[in-house]
Amino acid sequence: MKLELRDLRHVYARGTPFEVEALRGVSLVVEPKEVLAIVGGTGSGKSTLVQHMNLLLVPTSGQVLVDGADATTLRRSELRRRVGLVFQFPESALFAPTVEEDVAFAPRQLGLDEEEVRERVRQSLRALGAGHLAGRSPFALSGGEKRRAAIAGVLAMRPEVLVVDEPTAGLDPLSREELLDLILGLRESGVSVVLVSHDLDEVAEVADRVCVLHEGRVSAVGTPAEVFYGDPTQAPATVRVTSLLRGSRPEIGDPVRSQETLDALRALQGT
Amino acid sequence: MTTRGLGQFYPVSSPVHALDPRAKLLATAVFVVGLFLVDSTVGLLFVAASLVALVVVSRIPAGTFLRLLRPVLFIVALTLLFQVFFSREGVTLFEWGFLEVHSGGLRLGFFLALRLLLLVSSAGLLTATTAPVALADGIEDLLSPLKRVRFPAHEVAMMMTIALRFIPTLGEEAEKIKGAQAARGADFTEGGPLRRARSFLPVLIPLTVGAFRRADELADAMESRGYRGGEGRTRYRELRFRVSDALALSLTLFLLVVGILL
Amino acid sequence: MQNPGEWTRPGGSFAVSCERVSYSYPGSGRPALSEVSLDLRQGEYVGVVGPNGGGKSTLVRLLNGLLRPESGRVLVTGRDPATEPFEVRKHLGVLFQNPENGLVAPFVEDDVAFGLENLGVPREEMLGRVARAVRAVGLEGYERREPHTLSGGEKQRVALAGLLAVEPEILVLDEPTSMLDTAGRREVLEYLQDLHSEKTVLHVTHHLEELTGADRILVLNGGELVADETPERFFSNADLLRENRLVLPVVPRLALKLGFPPAKLSTPEELAEAILARTQSGTRSR
Repeated sequence: MKLELRDLRHVYARGTPFEVEALRGVSLVVEPKEVLAIVGGTGSGKSTLVQHMNLLLVPTSGQVLVDGADATTLRRSELRRRVGLVFQFPESALFAPTVEEDVAFAPRQLGLDEEEVRERVRQSLRALGAGHLAGRSPFALSGGEKRRAAIAGVLAMRPEVLVVDEPTAGLDPLSREELLDLILGLRESGVSVVLVSHDLDEVAEVADRVCVLHEGRVSAVGTPAEVFYGDPTQAPATVRVTSLLRGSRPEIGDPVRSQETLDALRALQGT
Repeated sequence: MTTRGLGQFYPVSSPVHALDPRAKLLATAVFVVGLFLVDSTVGLLFVAASLVALVVVSRIPAGTFLRLLRPVLFIVALTLLFQVFFSREGVTLFEWGFLEVHSGGLRLGFFLALRLLLLVSSAGLLTATTAPVALADGIEDLLSPLKRVRFPAHEVAMMMTIALRFIPTLGEEAEKIKGAQAARGADFTEGGPLRRARSFLPVLIPLTVGAFRRADELADAMESRGYRGGEGRTRYRELRFRVSDALALSLTLFLLVVGILL
Repeated sequence: MQNPGEWTRPGGSFAVSCERVSYSYPGSGRPALSEVSLDLRQGEYVGVVGPNGGGKSTLVRLLNGLLRPESGRVLVTGRDPATEPFEVRKHLGVLFQNPENGLVAPFVEDDVAFGLENLGVPREEMLGRVARAVRAVGLEGYERREPHTLSGGEKQRVALAGLLAVEPEILVLDEPTSMLDTAGRREVLEYLQDLHSEKTVLHVTHHLEELTGADRILVLNGGELVADETPERFFSNADLLRENRLVLPVVPRLALKLGFPPAKLSTPEELAEAILARTQSGTRSR
């Protein structure tokens, strides 16, 4: 599915003294089968932007297009099935007595028959490495386990685009790596992933394209190398290291991922 | 984004805002009692006019204030309609099947509805012109004589301060959870009232569980910072009773007496 | 404020000491902490790492008296937190993980004053101490802000100010940055950095880059103290890292793989300099 945002503007609390323009004309395309990272500081509009992708928020002006068609013409439930949104700290929305009941919520809302629902629950939990948690109460799990259960709940809708807002926030380093591997796995299986993150190092490892938001506008979009080498002061650690060496040793190229950076640096040292 | 509504503080500077919270609390209490002692329509209208004047002096925009009253409009309307259609006092003005409208019912309905509105308005004016911290301090001060009979005045005030501090936070949390469930296909608008109430369970349950967890963490944090109840505590905020406060109280009493006499 | 003589009671001249401390949560099968012994000298900056559920948070709560050990002894500035929690909390402050749930009052300056109110500090003195604490975390002008309008980093700084106002000698930081974004983390660490020279600090974290300046790193796993190493030795020990579900941050990891000492190079700039120095001297000596 091709998801397009065209000249999106969003104003909160219009006409009141608390009015704030969170998005000032954002245009962006989510291609099929890619990991698109959206980065930017607090107040850049990242969270506002992604909530337009499934029309949880409606634009003040501009359009959201799904395969060329205006998203507002689609049935909301259909749109939200195709574009799954996982909020930051999604585990705060777990509510059912067991994990499998909670994961079953979305498929049941879609009106699927029980057998299909059960199958989806099983598959989603397995994809998150959380099959063993099915019968447990979500409130008795550890932070990382809750996170997986919550994401499984959205994945059970089998969305074509999965939007995840800061999926690794608050997790320990190893859990973060496991989750990032999962995101890459999803892309392999045909799902597009929109990754909202403030952590440029994690973006460096998984993104196919990067979009930088600043104060409600797109300030840069392109491949990680294009975006990060374009402004090495706001870049992952790998790029910051190599950009300092490029002046005197241009043969280092423009690596972004840590493995390719390591290889380039080793070559430089002659080791 | 902001949870403005019943009971929210509206920060502007006005003579009413500047009054000591204890004076305002006492004045509100006197007002409420007096409200039930006024028994003439003229008197009630006089009291209403005084309250309107107070709202003007407090520099709270009319629109904002009226929004404070929205939640109770339903009950007020119900009260009015009940009296209008079911009271049999006075002259019959209108008949339609078994429904009768009498002059007495109209008068009583109007009277009761207005009294209810004034009740809520006075409380709304209090919270709109008094910062939550000040309110809690004021209540704690006024209740402290009761400590002698083992009434936990400090604890009550602390509970109120904390509740006030967390209202916006919980409001934002509720919005977020609602969004998360909507993203999973939850629909809060379809079906009859029972169905709709049930559809809120996926919001209420995590919100409640989350609130308990917050309470635990907050208790740990408070204890870690040396909290052990009201014993031996000093206060950062200062409350000083001034001439203007005494004047305000006297004025309130005076206006009410006039209203009662009218 | 502090009387050094007081600390040379049983417990030696240690700011914090734990002697074979054990604790199990009610209803739990296995102990959260098992026969843990450790000491913290005055002025030390010690990191505590380990997998979740390994006992780090339990340790923090035993140190400030929120929990009472089942066996063993805990001493903080010579006092037992389980029997004298109020006293201990004057000398040991804890910065918790979630800033949201640690802010009590509807305004910033009231929250900073909270600890002082609890101690019964007279109002005139409070005013000065609150103002100083707010300045110490760079939040002048924020006094009348409401907590829910603040960013994560700002909230955590308010919490820090609240601790500093009480002027404890020992600070325990329980994963203070794990719920913050990059900017917030940087803010908070900047202000925490300044405190290392004046206070004794115990810093629990997953982010190893925060501990490069530590004197020592303690590892708690499965309720046991499994290691007590300098950052240098710790960062170079791949097995130890893996066993404790820890990951070296990007720069130290690259440094290690390129043959540099990992704990000395924590920023990209430092690593780039080191590489340049080595390659230049390399070509020169050829």
